[in-house]
Amino acid sequence: MDPDQLSRAFVEHYYSAFDANRAGLGILYQDESMLTFEGQKIQGSQNIVAKLTSLPFQQCQHSITTVDCQPSGPAGGMLVFVSGNLQLAGEQHALKFSQMFHLMPTPQGSFYVLNDIFRLNYA
Amino acid sequence: MDPDQLSRAFVEHYYSAFDANRAGLGILYQDESMLTFEGQKIQGSQNIVAKLTSLPFQQCQHSITTVDCQPSGPAGGMLVFVSGNLQLAGEQHALKFSQGFEVRSD
Repeated sequence: MDPDQLSRAFVEHYYSAFDANRAGLGILYQDESMLTFEGQKIQGSQNIVAKLTSLPFQQCQHSITTVDCQPSGPAGGMLVFVSGNLQLAGEQHALKFSQMFHLMPTPQGSFYVLNDIFRLNYA
Repeated sequence: MDPDQLSRAFVEHYYSAFDANRAGLGILYQDESMLTFEGQKIQGSQNIVAKLTSLPFQQCQHSITTVDCQPSGPAGGMLVFVSGNLQLAGEQHALKFSQGFEVRSD
């Protein structure tokens, strides 16, 4: 798969997993992974999953508008830049967000998230 | 300077340079640098500057709302994630944008 296909496949997988059961996202992060969520910095897979599962909504649906990617560095990493909408159950209007991932390859041939930065885009 | 201060200093420098004279941004990019601008992929400092200077406006002003940064792995780089507004001269409403950088020391 070329990088664009890889990044689109990752994005589809990530947000499907998030929307179905965000407790299961831990497998995509490792101990050194970092998430900055609306300015709050969190490190490590367990802490990241704790943060995501504590977000104040049960159900949500991401719909992705743009996905851009670039190779990053000698180790086969990939930067992925996403923009889209986030619909929370019961809310009338969707939230707009942007998110940047830095993916690193695993020995098994997949990717894990080393860096993750999430921001809502306010009007 | 800690990473947060470094990233805020970089962001301030980048957008001031952009708004004052974007032809001068070449010094911030190298041959292997990549820009994806609204989906269009460009590589190399010269091509990047050519793209930025060909954007269809003379004057613009960026105002930055958020700056987030994280160290980006063993090669010692820094990811910087910016959101803000872009006001073009003569336009009534500012455009909203987000931009992600990977910054390396040379």
